[in-house]
Amino acid sequence: MKKFFKAIADFFRPQSPSRKAFFERVVTAIKRNAQLRIGLILLAVLLFVAFGAGLLTSRSPYYMYDDLKQAPNSTYLLGTDGLGRDVYTMIVYGTRVSLMIGIVAASISGIIGTMVGAIAGYFGGKVDRFVVEFINIFVMTPSFFLILIIIALFGSSITNVMLVLGLTSWTGNARLMRAQAISIKERVFIKSAKVIGEGNWKIMFKHVIPNGIFPVIANTTMNVSGAILSEASLSFLGLGDPNVVSWGQMISHGKTYMSPAPWISISAGIAIVFTVLTFFLLGEGLKNVLSPKLQNVQGGE
Amino acid sequence: MARYIGKRAITGVVMVILSVCINFTLIRLAPGDPIRIMAGTDNPNQAMIDTLTKKYGLDKSIPEQFVMFLAGIAKGDLGFSYVSHENVVDAILLKLGPTLMLSLTALIIAVLLGTTLGILAARKVNSWWDKFLCGISYVFDSTPSFWLGLIMILVFASALHIFPTSGMVNLRVQSKGLGRILDIAYHLVLPVTTLVCIQTPYYFRIARSSVLQVMAEDFITTFKATGMPRKKVFNKYVFKNAMLPTITVVGMSIAFLFSGAVLIETVFAWPGMGRLLIDSISRRDYPILTGIYFIISVAVATMMILIDIVYGIVDPRIKHDQPST
Repeated sequence: MKKFFKAIADFFRPQSPSRKAFFERVVTAIKRNAQLRIGLILLAVLLFVAFGAGLLTSRSPYYMYDDLKQAPNSTYLLGTDGLGRDVYTMIVYGTRVSLMIGIVAASISGIIGTMVGAIAGYFGGKVDRFVVEFINIFVMTPSFFLILIIIALFGSSITNVMLVLGLTSWTGNARLMRAQAISIKERVFIKSAKVIGEGNWKIMFKHVIPNGIFPVIANTTMNVSGAILSEASLSFLGLGDPNVVSWGQMISHGKTYMSPAPWISISAGIAIVFTVLTFFLLGEGLKNVLSPKLQNVQGGE
Repeated sequence: MARYIGKRAITGVVMVILSVCINFTLIRLAPGDPIRIMAGTDNPNQAMIDTLTKKYGLDKSIPEQFVMFLAGIAKGDLGFSYVSHENVVDAILLKLGPTLMLSLTALIIAVLLGTTLGILAARKVNSWWDKFLCGISYVFDSTPSFWLGLIMILVFASALHIFPTSGMVNLRVQSKGLGRILDIAYHLVLPVTTLVCIQTPYYFRIARSSVLQVMAEDFITTFKATGMPRKKVFNKYVFKNAMLPTITVVGMSIAFLFSGAVLIETVFAWPGMGRLLIDSISRRDYPILTGIYFIISVAVATMMILIDIVYGIVDPRIKHDQPST
């Protein structure tokens, strides 16, 4: 146990010059880039709400109270919905669902995109041509339409939604990773590694992917917001998982009570805007920080 | 050029067949049986189920059905709807008009507005005006379109009673000629405004970032250094180069127009392709689904080729006759 804490403490102690420089660079980047700064603050709020849901409310998002369509008051901070559920509690617990869907779907697309892109770019040749053609066909299919059909016909469990969203959005990541791999594999250190006798797969995982992953990370952060929006849209069309409380479903439910109880849809919508905005700003900030060419033009403030 | 276009056209046809094939198989592999819906759920009669299955060719294997479907396309026949027994081509054409009216209007306004604002923001980069526009664009980019539509209805239709809540025409007043056009335009305002709000940030950011990127190029710095007037540098060199990404994006957006704005059409009860799509999915209306998908694929393939041609005209650096491209 002691060893474990020591290891953590060692990691954070800026002892080696390179790590110190790394932390300093991160701090400067956050200081200089407004989008990244605001995004991180919003993310902290979101994570606090998601993990501290039990602290923020003592109610259950599924419990139906006797007061239907109550306007916001001191008992029900954001009112109740058409079934008597507390809107505030639903919003708080909905954060978990949205974050999970967004992050899992974006991670699936990030991992697949990185692997496919790295293999295509690094090995080149026939594999590369096949992947490029495949991506071209994929780009031509209207993805939301495809998601709609798959979810509607194969069932709308939350696992299905995350899988489909992930599997339909990896092409952007693959393109970025492929471009990176093509440029990295010509560098001297890769050639040296080859001369030493390291295997292709080892080089790919040890050098190519770690050195080229940054644009994919920025893009994956953006994909989180895309996935959250798509899930909300699916829920709105009645294709969400009926067993979980999600913001999209709240809007869909609130649509029926739009004029007598507008607070249901309005509060859920604001929650979506807030969350999507967070990941959008983070992604933009990361992209600007990680691409030095644009930094001179639009860097920070 | 002609040879290049011919080659692209062949690739386009292959892509259309491939993507329709995937879609065709996917729809038919899915659980749910259209025959059970057609035969009725109360007291299905085995003889009727058999007759219907045979009539619609659903007793054959999926590859056989696909060949039949392709043969139908060659004759310009996409089959008949399982539910309304309408000709699929007619059913789609009926919905295509309203969809194009809504989406194309919104697209044109959004492209013009977004590009203009993007160029203005890029020319005064890091000014308060630029920051204000960027901030607004982030917020609208994060807003779900259907929610914005609901808010529009709540504010402008329910509370202020300025615009109608939904639909395309006022069903109580059967007007003709100019009256009908005005009626449709009146019903168009809210859905178009919503779509414009959602789409403008996209074109804004593309225009802004590509102008910035071109301005950072060395040849622009050289022009400025030689003392060429800023206005001339911008109009003659920056603008033309910066418009290339916008052309691609607009081309793709036009191609996807045909699928309709599913969410906005649902919110505003607009009788377009998006609604047709949602209804067909819930009714397992295979012919309509494959028909819509086929039309979208053809539109996308056509637009891809058109974009290439436009690129060749706008950017003389791209020469299609070289073997490398």
